[in-house]
Amino acid sequence: MIKARGFKGGGVSVDHRVPFKSGPIENAFLPMNAVVVLRETSLSVEPFPVVSVGQEVMEGQLLARSAGPGSTNVHSPIPGIVRRIRATVTPEGYESNSILVSLEGSFSVLGKKPERYLWKSLNKADIAHIVQEKGIVRVSSGEPLSEILSERSSRPGFVLVVNALEMDPYRRTEEELLSIRPEDVIDGCAIAARVARPARIVLAVDARLSPEIEGRLKGIIEASELEMSIMSFSRRHPQDMPRQIAESLEIVDQSALFILEPSTLVALHDAVVANKPHIEQYVYVGGGAIKSPAILKARIGAPIGDLIEECGGLVGRPDAIVLGGPFRGRAVADLDASVTRTTQAVLALTSEETKPAPERPCVRCGDCVAVCPEGLDPYSMLKLLRAGRGEAAIAAGLDRCTSCGACAYACRSRIPLVRDFRAARASEALR
Amino acid sequence: MSRDASASLRYPPYIHDWKTSAKAAWICSITLAPVVAWSIVLYGRSAALVWLVSVASALASEAVASGISRRWTLGDGSAALTGLLIATAMPPGVPLYVPALSAAFAVLVVKAAFGGLGANWMNPALAGIAFAYANWPVAMREYVLPRIVAGVDGVSAATPLTFAKGLAGGLDVRIMDSLRGASYPLSSFDSAVTGFLNDSVFSRLGARLPDGYIDLAIGLKPGALGESALIAVLVGSLVLVGLRLIKPVAPIAMVSVFAILARVLGTGLPGEAFLNGDALFSLGGGSVLLVAFYMAADPVSSPVRRRSALVYGAAIGALCFVFRRWGAYSEGAAYSVLVMNVVTPFIEKSASGMTAARARRRSS
Ligand code: SF4
Ligand code: SF4
Repeated sequence: MIKARGFKGGGVSVDHRVPFKSGPIENAFLPMNAVVVLRETSLSVEPFPVVSVGQEVMEGQLLARSAGPGSTNVHSPIPGIVRRIRATVTPEGYESNSILVSLEGSFSVLGKKPERYLWKSLNKADIAHIVQEKGIVRVSSGEPLSEILSERSSRPGFVLVVNALEMDPYRRTEEELLSIRPEDVIDGCAIAARVARPARIVLAVDARLSPEIEGRLKGIIEASELEMSIMSFSRRHPQDMPRQIAESLEIVDQSALFILEPSTLVALHDAVVANKPHIEQYVYVGGGAIKSPAILKARIGAPIGDLIEECGGLVGRPDAIVLGGPFRGRAVADLDASVTRTTQAVLALTSEETKPAPERPCVRCGDCVAVCPEGLDPYSMLKLLRAGRGEAAIAAGLDRCTSCGACAYACRSRIPLVRDFRAARASEALR
Repeated sequence: MSRDASASLRYPPYIHDWKTSAKAAWICSITLAPVVAWSIVLYGRSAALVWLVSVASALASEAVASGISRRWTLGDGSAALTGLLIATAMPPGVPLYVPALSAAFAVLVVKAAFGGLGANWMNPALAGIAFAYANWPVAMREYVLPRIVAGVDGVSAATPLTFAKGLAGGLDVRIMDSLRGASYPLSSFDSAVTGFLNDSVFSRLGARLPDGYIDLAIGLKPGALGESALIAVLVGSLVLVGLRLIKPVAPIAMVSVFAILARVLGTGLPGEAFLNGDALFSLGGGSVLLVAFYMAADPVSSPVRRRSALVYGAAIGALCFVFRRWGAYSEGAAYSVLVMNVVTPFIEKSASGMTAARARRRSS
């Protein structure tokens, strides 16, 4: 067993892991209507639709073409008919066109056994082209994968970190992919490495990864002839921040890290090896109000209500339905919101989990200071902001805040620290 | 500011730690329950009334304050806690207007007038206690013997600390023995337990526990309400630290510095010599522990960062020692914390200068 590395300073210790049905990941039912959101994040550039209302589309057919940097191709997740193209507001609050496809006709991707290309004969340009063509995005951030890969390959000497550490205790997807599709993860990693050419590769795993899986991974890595080492990390939240990972790997320059997670690598693998566009997403459906939590392989555009239904529906009244994660996700008002290429979890949280309380004045307990993984002083930054001294707050480190949510999680006065920090950064950036 | 609990569901993070400010205050109050109960066992009705009046007055004052500010804050538990803490410093049988007015002063003047919870420039309970000592110096120092010791209610007596100060003792006599020699009341329970411990344990170690420490620990001596149940205070403190409701840095620094100084220099009691002070007696005889864990550790009026909290706690311990050694009365602990409450902003300011410099180094 390799010695576990600790993250240095701060963080919320999350020993428990949410329960879920382990084993093979099931394909979610195909949605009757898929609403495909064209802009993945508030920063993405909207691609141009290439279909028109009433048109029949096949599964995996191009719906919208990349408009250049910051934009990706978008494909139809289901075979059917384009019913509507219109502007919508996403749960995150930004506007984007969405394309509604209703299910009709036969499928090709799900029905057939996937073809397997021997990618090893492909060169860098071929792979880059496929990644771009298939509209693969980095699952954790929504950036076009082809862009970040080519950007990396122009700056050699970096470390590729395959981060199988969960973003928060409410996700098990990365860990699970590592145990059920280890070959594909490592293969995906080899594909990424062929394009980007890292100096070395680190596979970051949870300290409690079972020795059996670790052994299997080691075998696969050996066979793959990759320069790859496994490093295990003690468990906490957050564990996906470049600066913090760099620090615990004793790498001074955080820009020398290129972090990809197994779910992205699997999508990359499927695109290159099985010719699959990015129309599926592993979604953890859970939280105290979900009857039988599970990880589902869902189609992009599927309404989250369908996924919840497939997991046995809701038990009791959830306090909040959250997309993404409990620390950094977004609450949604209804169950119509649709799965995107970055939807990693759909959570229905009970009040035992949310533990709501009225906001009270800061009691100076210092808990927020103790948990901040960036070593910042949220207490003082809040004080400066409330005194209207935004610039001083930036000088105190507000610009380095990653919005990880640890401070607001810990705050016993339920002060929306992250909301205030975000707003302040946005308004300072405007100046 | 939103007074609505569901507001915390509108922004990420959507999950939270179990702690809330209100829960913290209520748990703090609950850990004082054994102290309250034991004091009532010891002193009966006169003790019960003091607790009751103090808490009632604090709650009523908070209600008035929330009425004025139109913000209902009674549920946050801090007023009840203030009332309880003020009562801990009261002698049993003190005229009831003393706790009533002190608690009202603490909540209405010190807390509410400065902007309510979180904006306190000093711990309201401590301010209330100081207020009581300043206005009713005589009533606040009239102690009685527990009825278990005296057999009847209301036999007045000096606290062991005050009593010991007035004694002249030989150098090699321990303070407890001097007290005994001066026929200071001792319970039969203490003689029995001490006798048993000495026979069964200490004699084999070649040591001897003087009479009286057991009385000190279980409160069979005259003293303020909160001083009577040392063990309960200790257990309560452990609960608070264990649940991470208070940060232990300041109280531990305070108690350690105080104990070391008392041990090294002596607190001016008979029988003490250089390097041979009676730290145990000094810690057990007054309210040091209670003040440390329930008042010096109050987050609102103590420094936020650990390093500053260490300085703060150590300074309180030292001040406390100075008051005990050269001051006249036993309420030195409360005053020490009050003084440091006022100094806190300055400690924090100088410390934040240092951290800012460190942050700059780190980011560059
Ligand atoms: S959200 Fe920002 S300030 Fe709060 S803990 Fe995370 S990095 Fe620190
Ligand atoms: S955790 Fe909340 S109450 Fe405690 S110091 Fe930070 S902001 Fe204040």
